[in-house]
Amino acid sequence: MNWSELLSAPLAFKMLAAAAVVFAIGAVALKNVFHCALSLAAMFFALSGVFVLLDADFLAVVQILVYVGAIVVLMIFAIVLTERITSASVRQTNYLVIPGVLLCIALLAGLVSVIRASSWPSLESGPQQDTIKIIGRQLLSTHVEAFEVASVLLLAALVGAVFLGKEITRK
Amino acid sequence: MNEYALGQGLWEMGFAAAVPFTLVALSAMAVLLADLWLLPSQKRALPWAALAGVLLSAASVAFLWNEEATGFGGAIRLDRFSAFFAMVFLLGTGLVVLLSSAYARREGVERGEYYALLLFGTSGAMLMASAVELVTFFLGLEILSVSLYVLSGFFRQRPASAEAAAKYFILGAFASAFLLYGIALFYGASGSTTYAALRESFGSAAFPYSHGLLALAASGLLLIGLAFKLGAVPFHMWVPDTYEGAPTTITAYMSVVSKAAAAAAFIRVFGASLSSLQQDTSAVLWVLAVVTMTLGNVVAIAQTNIKRMLAYSSIAHAGYLLVALTAAGEAGYSSVLFYVLAYVFMTLGAFGVVSLVRKGEGGADAGAEALDISHYSGLAGRHGLLAAAMAVFMVSLSGIPPTAGFFAKFYVFSAAVRAGEVGLAIIGVLNSLVSVYFYMRIVFLMYMKEETVPVRGSRSRAGWVALAACVLGTLLLGVLPSSFARLATESIASIF
Repeated sequence: MNWSELLSAPLAFKMLAAAAVVFAIGAVALKNVFHCALSLAAMFFALSGVFVLLDADFLAVVQILVYVGAIVVLMIFAIVLTERITSASVRQTNYLVIPGVLLCIALLAGLVSVIRASSWPSLESGPQQDTIKIIGRQLLSTHVEAFEVASVLLLAALVGAVFLGKEITRK
Repeated sequence: MNEYALGQGLWEMGFAAAVPFTLVALSAMAVLLADLWLLPSQKRALPWAALAGVLLSAASVAFLWNEEATGFGGAIRLDRFSAFFAMVFLLGTGLVVLLSSAYARREGVERGEYYALLLFGTSGAMLMASAVELVTFFLGLEILSVSLYVLSGFFRQRPASAEAAAKYFILGAFASAFLLYGIALFYGASGSTTYAALRESFGSAAFPYSHGLLALAASGLLLIGLAFKLGAVPFHMWVPDTYEGAPTTITAYMSVVSKAAAAAAFIRVFGASLSSLQQDTSAVLWVLAVVTMTLGNVVAIAQTNIKRMLAYSSIAHAGYLLVALTAAGEAGYSSVLFYVLAYVFMTLGAFGVVSLVRKGEGGADAGAEALDISHYSGLAGRHGLLAAAMAVFMVSLSGIPPTAGFFAKFYVFSAAVRAGEVGLAIIGVLNSLVSVYFYMRIVFLMYMKEETVPVRGSRSRAGWVALAACVLGTLLLGVLPSSFARLATESIASIF
């Protein structure tokens, strides 16, 4: 992609992308934890809009279902149930914020320049229609091992979460 | 379909490649179920159930030792390399289970989850070593990581343990994100996530410059994720705190299994598939190796807590592993395999002694873990065998013959010299000399000083068996290294 392509991209894409960046910054810069969570949810919505415009309809739906529907809702529950932090204002940065920002900008610049300079050989197939069917078929053929192994990962995470979350019984 | 055809069909799908991993994961589930049925007084059976799972899987690896199979559309591969690493992980897990049987009971964490997560972690490590596809490799890494996040916070009532888990989790998740970004770039560059496709895209030197840039960026991001697991500087910040706060047996497991798994995955990705980028990766690894060895050894000198000292020592050993990875080639990589095997015995042994030593009667906190280095003063007088075992491990860790540590370092440094990295080998040897100071200080304290705090050693028979196995392994690899070195060379030859 080059800059002239970006200029000619649909207005909706530009607005959604800009919104995603603004809300992402909000999620790590706002002082109120509750506002951060809401900003994060808004960022996920904007991102799923970007996915729709890129013909990745399945990914867009999953993005909303999993991230907005489950993860952010869970975060908001956690914040609401932890009374003291709902209205408290917290600083999310420490004295390393400036080196951190500089490092991130350097990483971004490096990645953007690499991505723009590359020829992306895998792009040749072009955008796919009917992605759900393709993803389903891939999951149960090419990636069947990963699909199965993911269940082991989820089981281990579940066991660990239940153990850590259980009430501590004092003897 | 008759039985024969079914068996053959499964064989052709490559199920054999998944058998050792699956057996470990299934025994983790069996341990969880057993935990539900067992009465509190019968919980002592849990470590034996876990050990049975480990032995079962080891038997399957031994049975498939000479087989080669690629399973599930090129996702995982069974060859001598994955069999070697599976044996290393199972050996490490078996020894940790033996050490845990007394430790976990005394610390009040003898629960099904403990052993189940240990086994889940091992299954993840085995997947990392046998995966030949990036997504499967990533899932293996995550299974190992998630298990370790929980295990390092297993002392839920101790703030230090919670801190260990929180630090490891947050930094680990961050490192995984870098790794995943690298995988995404590799997918974009080659259109597939299999290692075979990587080799095809980047195998010949003819790929266009822009393509090479993409491969370098992806390699760099992948390297960050692996260096984090390895505990290499500058991705080592979590190591001392996590190693100190986690249960001692888990620290032992972490330092052995997750380092070995990261090294295995590194060799499969960078050694066997991206060898065309070797000059560039070696340049980066050279720097990582030097700073990792030096920081680990120098900071270890100043430690007063034995777990922190061993944590910095494990950083230094990650540096030696990086020297071998910098050297690359069959000699470099087979020295990694030998090193990993030697490291299992000496590090597990050292942490094993720490887990068996406790403060004795008289003090306010009798029965608590004796973690200060000064507690080891005069240990030889009261517990001659424990002190002798610890001395063997310290001698081996500092790389003095006739122990495993000497030959491990010898193979690493001679591979570096052969690869033309003479400077790196010299820095490594100098670092090794520095390390003699803090390892020998423990031996000095144990044998030359008077006892300051009364300590007592555990009489756990399982723990003693594990220690004996570690001593035996350390000495065997030091006396008869050549057959093990040949095993390492054969294992490496199977993936090139």
